[in-house]
Amino acid sequence: MLEVQHLHKVYPNGTRALTDVSFQVEDGEFLVVIGLSGSGKSTLLRCINRLIEPTQGKILWDGTDVTAASGAELRGIRRQIGMIFQQFNLVKRSSVLTNVLAGRLGYVGTAGSLAGVWSSADRASAVRALERVGLAEKAQSRADALSGGQQQRVAIARALMQNPKLILADEPVASLDPVLSHSILQYLEQLNREEKITVICSLHFLDLVHRYATRVIALKDGEVVFTGLPQEIDKARFKEIYGEDAIEVKAGLSA
Amino acid sequence: MPVTIPLASLILPGLGQLLSGRRARGLSILGLTLTLLGLIWWSLTPQDLSPETRPIPLKGDPANLYWLVVPVLIWAWNVWDAARPNVAPGWIPALLSTTMFFVIGWQVAEINPPVLASNIDRVMLIVRPMLRPDFIQPRAEEREGWVEIIVPCPTEAPAAADSSTGEITLTVDATCGAVGETLTVAAAGLTPDVPVELVWQSPIGDFFVLREADDPTRFRSEQPDAQGGLTTALVIPNAIPPGVDPTMPQEQRLYLRQSRPLGGWELSTNGGFILQGIYETIALALMATTLGTLGAFPFSFLAARNLMGGNAFTLVVYVVVRTILNIVRSIESLIIAIVFVVIIGLGPFAGMMAVTVHTIAALGKLFSEVIEGIDPGPIEAIRATGANWLQIVRYGVLPQVVPAFTAFTIYRWEINVRASTIIGVVGGGGIGFFLIQWINLSDYRAVSAAFLAILVVVQIMDFVSARLRERLA
Ligand SMILES: Nc1ncnc2c1ncn2[C@@H]1O[C@H](COP(=O)(O)OP(=O)(O)O)[C@@H](O)[C@H]1O
Ligand SMILES: [Mg+2]
Repeated sequence: MLEVQHLHKVYPNGTRALTDVSFQVEDGEFLVVIGLSGSGKSTLLRCINRLIEPTQGKILWDGTDVTAASGAELRGIRRQIGMIFQQFNLVKRSSVLTNVLAGRLGYVGTAGSLAGVWSSADRASAVRALERVGLAEKAQSRADALSGGQQQRVAIARALMQNPKLILADEPVASLDPVLSHSILQYLEQLNREEKITVICSLHFLDLVHRYATRVIALKDGEVVFTGLPQEIDKARFKEIYGEDAIEVKAGLSA
Repeated sequence: MPVTIPLASLILPGLGQLLSGRRARGLSILGLTLTLLGLIWWSLTPQDLSPETRPIPLKGDPANLYWLVVPVLIWAWNVWDAARPNVAPGWIPALLSTTMFFVIGWQVAEINPPVLASNIDRVMLIVRPMLRPDFIQPRAEEREGWVEIIVPCPTEAPAAADSSTGEITLTVDATCGAVGETLTVAAAGLTPDVPVELVWQSPIGDFFVLREADDPTRFRSEQPDAQGGLTTALVIPNAIPPGVDPTMPQEQRLYLRQSRPLGGWELSTNGGFILQGIYETIALALMATTLGTLGAFPFSFLAARNLMGGNAFTLVVYVVVRTILNIVRSIESLIIAIVFVVIIGLGPFAGMMAVTVHTIAALGKLFSEVIEGIDPGPIEAIRATGANWLQIVRYGVLPQVVPAFTAFTIYRWEINVRASTIIGVVGGGGIGFFLIQWINLSDYRAVSAAFLAILVVVQIMDFVSARLRERLA
């Protein structure tokens, strides 16, 4: 179980990205975070694995205080949390296989990994992870030779290499067209259902929220303005969360 | 439009534009007018000519006063521009000032195209020997003998000279004499049937091949008899260097030289120097590129804004490192070499240090730009896997920078080979070191051989590096 308690984030330039954010995520949930661009979704997700330092507040994960961890302990927490990004964030010039193997870095020794030496067990599980996302034959391709949807699948395979208990996905489909969006989210849904991996995912479109979320929280200007089931978000609620821009977002929906 | 704006521009060019908020335009107009006025003032003041100064063409010529028409027109244009913003076309002052700069520049640069053609005969003096590069020569057996002669005679006559080197023996009828006096030399032990050259050595060691008295364009060539003997007369040449007291007796030498063709070809003496110079040049460039790249590496991280923008201290380091790199980069390695020649002395080490320093600065800048351009996304992703700092650098940073670093390094190697050919001109070793001496000695056959060698090496290096970079891209 993940508990976020009174989380605040103020950037050095004074921007208040998160204000007193509190919520809980039970194991096995598919939690979707919605909110306008700039509402603090990325900041919130990055606070959970401490890519961004929270200014104040606590994050407890299975009883461990994530906010108090540092050094090896922090890396030990991070390696159990897979992360997926809007821009895929693959190392473009490296091979697909190397990108996937990088997901193991938190588990392997420094010297071997610096030399680029990987155990046959790690290699085998990298191939299995690629098979799982249907890209085994692309293992030796350079990452930037793949299409956007394929790159995001490689990123999922990389996250799988971490044996994650939790996956953070920051707008994983915002750079993809609607058909590909569903294929990517179905992979996440499958992991969520079959492997019982908790997923926290930020999304933009209401139909995707309704289709995949088991629970939703909404952010507005860094504050939680809604927590509940996806069905509870009707048009009125939606307009409340998205304000004047609601029409725009819905236009994007029908596209 | 208040009348004060054009009035302000009438008083001071650009002031009106400044006051009406068109800052850049106002400052440009002011700067341009002041520059033009300053230039005219400079061209009007006569040059202070001492014997050593070279006169600057047309400097001090009162006719330069006519140039005032340009700033006056621009001044008028500027009032118009102040009164009617965005109406007065900008090309008018641009054209006026460019014309003036161009005409004055043409004169100051002493551009004089006819000279290109009028000295064609001098060109032939250089080109003709250059058509026969001195790299290899027909194999030949060289033999020589010499005898010492004091010029002019000291008060006490020196002992009779009879000198022999190897099998050649020379005897002269007088061991001393004044310039213009005739000597008779008898030689034995020469190779029969091979022509003999007469060479005079000055007190400072320069050699002069003696020429025919009746035809100074031809070198003297004597034929020994069947026993290898030769007796001939010669006039003592004036070999006293300028600035030396001609009444002071000095040791000089007469050489007899023979060259018997053996068939086939061999590397000439200068050809050997060229090989040595090229070898040094390539080694120098290789060392400078390697050390320069290693040196550039740490500096590039310190000069990368995205890594150093974190806090005030690192930002200061960034600014300092960046400034130093920019300054050093703008100094030609030839100039840096002069400094190292003073510190280290002549030779390839000084040249290598100079090219290395320049490489560090140039590559440091390029590398830092590569680092500034990397995508932070993959780094964030690697960090999120629980990787430590070294692993992040190895898997997130290096794959992004290494290809560009390698390409820049290979490109730099190309530049460094070229820099290393010329660095010797100031004493930095390599082929340039020999080249400048041959230029000073007017040995154009050796010069052209050196040019050819440089051409070949640079072409090969360019080709190799282009192919390497192609494969990396
Ligand atoms: N590194 C940063 N420095 C300063 N302000 C930032 C930084 N990153 C994000 N912000 C600001 O924090 C707020 C929340 O941003 P973000 O978490 O990216 O929102 P979202 O992901 O919902 O679009 C925005 O106002 C954004 O401009
Ligand atoms: Mg975001």
